[in-house]
Amino acid sequence: MSLLLQSLVLGVLLGGLYALLAAGLTLYFGVMRVVMIAHSAFLILAAYLAWWFTSETGLDPLLSLVLTVPLFFAMGVLMQRVLISRLRPATLTMMSVLLTFSIALVIEGMLGFAFSGTQRRIRLDYGGANFEVFGANVAVVKLIAFALAVVSLAALFLLMKKTQFGQALRATIQHPEAARLIGINTERVAGYGFGLGLATAAIGGTALALDSTFYPSLHWHWIGPLMAIIVVGGLGSIPGAAIAAMVLGMGQALLQIPLGTTWAQTFFYIALFATLMVRPQGFFGGRLAQRF
Amino acid sequence: MPSASDTVSTTDRRSRGSVALKAVGLLVLAAAVLSFPSVAANPFILSVGVVIMSYAVLATSWNFVGGFTGYISLGHAAYSGLGGYATGLLVIHTGVNPWLGMLLAGLAVAVLAVPIGIASLRVRGASFVIVSIALVLILLLVFQSWGSFTGGSNGLRVPRPFGPEVLRPEQHERFFYLHAALLAVALLTWWLIDRSRFGMGLKAIREDEDKAQALGVPTFTYKLIAFVVSAFFTALGGGLYALWFGFLDPIFQFSILVGSYMVLMSLLGGIRSLFGPFLGAVIVGYAVEYFKNQYGDTQFHLVAMGLLLGLVVLFMPDGIIPAATNLVDRFRPQKTSIREVTQAELAEQRRTAGPEAAQADQQARTDDGTDIPTSDSTVTEGARS
Amino acid sequence: MTATADAAPAQQTASLATVGLTKRFGGVTAVDGASVTFHHGKVNALIGPNGSGKTTFFNCVTGMIKPDEGTVSYRGADITGKAPHRIARAGVGRSFQLCRVFPRMTVMENMLVAVRSTSLRRQLASARDAEELDRARGLLARVGIEHLEHSLARDISYGQQKLLELAGVLMADPETIMLDEPAGGVNPALIDRIANLVRSLNAEGKTFIVVEHNMELVMGLSDHVVVFDRGRPICEGTPTVVQSDPRVLEAYLGI
Repeated sequence: MSLLLQSLVLGVLLGGLYALLAAGLTLYFGVMRVVMIAHSAFLILAAYLAWWFTSETGLDPLLSLVLTVPLFFAMGVLMQRVLISRLRPATLTMMSVLLTFSIALVIEGMLGFAFSGTQRRIRLDYGGANFEVFGANVAVVKLIAFALAVVSLAALFLLMKKTQFGQALRATIQHPEAARLIGINTERVAGYGFGLGLATAAIGGTALALDSTFYPSLHWHWIGPLMAIIVVGGLGSIPGAAIAAMVLGMGQALLQIPLGTTWAQTFFYIALFATLMVRPQGFFGGRLAQRF
Repeated sequence: MPSASDTVSTTDRRSRGSVALKAVGLLVLAAAVLSFPSVAANPFILSVGVVIMSYAVLATSWNFVGGFTGYISLGHAAYSGLGGYATGLLVIHTGVNPWLGMLLAGLAVAVLAVPIGIASLRVRGASFVIVSIALVLILLLVFQSWGSFTGGSNGLRVPRPFGPEVLRPEQHERFFYLHAALLAVALLTWWLIDRSRFGMGLKAIREDEDKAQALGVPTFTYKLIAFVVSAFFTALGGGLYALWFGFLDPIFQFSILVGSYMVLMSLLGGIRSLFGPFLGAVIVGYAVEYFKNQYGDTQFHLVAMGLLLGLVVLFMPDGIIPAATNLVDRFRPQKTSIREVTQAELAEQRRTAGPEAAQADQQARTDDGTDIPTSDSTVTEGARS
Repeated sequence: MTATADAAPAQQTASLATVGLTKRFGGVTAVDGASVTFHHGKVNALIGPNGSGKTTFFNCVTGMIKPDEGTVSYRGADITGKAPHRIARAGVGRSFQLCRVFPRMTVMENMLVAVRSTSLRRQLASARDAEELDRARGLLARVGIEHLEHSLARDISYGQQKLLELAGVLMADPETIMLDEPAGGVNPALIDRIANLVRSLNAEGKTFIVVEHNMELVMGLSDHVVVFDRGRPICEGTPTVVQSDPRVLEAYLGI
């Protein structure tokens, strides 16, 4: 029973991180119809930057967010303006996949070159600390990572719902032509949407760095589940992505008990195939997904 | 490389002369390929030749779906890897004749490709790419973990089809020819589809899927067939490679990188050309083997691969062959005659219609949002040549 | 829903018909319970102010969008929710708003896409058999662009692309042809040309359903006009009847 509870708690904690990252992936797809393969490569890049920041300054890795979040936001805007917007609209979805894939390869290669392929881990004073809730053991770092994800998601949600920029962003996602007609500069909005997406990778990467080891090719282990999540949630729907992330994250954690970690990962892919077979537009997606 | 013929757009206007030219080109190409083993300086060069031919088979097979329908699969390594493993496992466990085993493996993978295709092709674009990557990742996971059956991370030793009396250089030579034969079959099949009604429908899907469907093309079925044929040939390529190399490691078989090689090769050579992927395989395959030999398997390898792919996508998405054909066409007299008709027609249209109509015409083009060149550019281009 | 007693004679002349067709996008109802009957062998027109749901209606009828409610029938057979290629092969060809051709295929290749039969042997045969090429050349000549056969579709002018699109639709030999704004963005001379083509094809027995803004063209061309407003028909009849209907004036000038 406590094992089950333990897994559930772990699933929720992991699901939060998945939800934040999937929200980023959904933003790119929403504003530009781009499947951003490099999302998880940026995630690992952020983890390395947090590690490097801590090993250079001795400060807490969380403080690296002050630098990485604006940096990643700017990189996202730049990436959309300089690279993605150059592609022809007719082949955008396919070519952007290749372009972001090549960015992922470059990041992986550069990380390997700069920091070598060995596994890295940040040593924290509170790294081993944990406490007990209803018999389940919760590591403090995991809780911090979860809190970070939840706070960021909430901020993103408020930004989307309450601000004028958020409205423009949502309008662009739902109906770019109509958004243009009512005077929204969809190109600029798309750039900021990209920036926001990449900012989630910065936060996610730092959260990841708190309690896991990482290495340059780790991003492949993240992009698969994340892509499964956004398909299950319905391409282009942020709430859908968040819900699917929680559900699948918990499913994975629960399946780890009977199957072990490796086989539990296949859960994401099975969910992906099942979704495409039964309901190709995803479970929470709207109109967007049907055509893509 | 002989002129390698963009069959797509030139079939119509080719004269007897250019047919002869193509025949000669094809013969020269065949002769060059077939004589390679005898001119290769040493067994190592010959083995590089086999690797390049293997890449050519894989890239050409990839191009059945990528080139015809425009659906980019980043995970075709799944099918080559499955083909290799299925061949190896069949030979090991059933003792079947290795060549028959390879064929059976290809068929099995083709059957498996049907549900995968149904799942990923029903909706457009993005889902297909996502499934293609997911498939490689899941297979890597499964083949690494399921040690009792696949050999797991330790790899799988595949028995060689030729006895120990056949020495290494001769092994290479035989496999070089076998790969060349498989490549020829794949190319022939691609060419047959290219000229068929089915192929016309596939190309229409690549250009505008809604429009194709409105003209009666059963787009889903067509895409699925192209996908299954592609998986079949890719699996045969993987099986043949497995029989040659004799050892399978999931890390290399189910590698995203191998899948992206196929994409890069096809894209670089030109996905709409019959020989595009082959040309790309020769260039990229040679470069990859050269760098591996010179610098070993470093991280720069990834960076170079990523940069090259990015540059091709941004600046040469149509590939080398179309770019070269355009260059040739610019200096070719008969092409300009077409331009002149267009130009005359346009001029006449403008005379009859007057300036406001031309303006409306212009307006319509810009509203359209697609990259149709304006009539002005057509006229000036005609005037220049 | 359908009236049983009058159904038989009506169906003999009915081409495409919808009953209670409805399509919503989120909170917006683009097509709102539209029941429309187009007449076989006639030139039908569908007009209405911008945003009145004409194109959505058009897309529902041709299978591009699945309607939320209601039925679509063609010549008496139910085709609701059928895939676009099935509707196309049932005999309904269509053009697209703003004109769509296959940009990187030649004009001739554009003509050869249309599928009339999916028999395996026919599909695997060469696309360029002599009979098919002759038919294509004949149709290109009919719309007046036969000299452009070898040009890439993206290299010809917008007006020529419109003609190519029409010729390409004709290649499938449809019984009924739906045109989405055939006069949109083209010059007056070409509008005349398209109108003449529609007239002569109609004389040969083709049914037309034309969505159009250009009132002059609609009134001069059509036998039967349906006026759309806010996702449903508000009035229908001959051009003269429709023109004098106060509801039409209100819809067009009202708000």
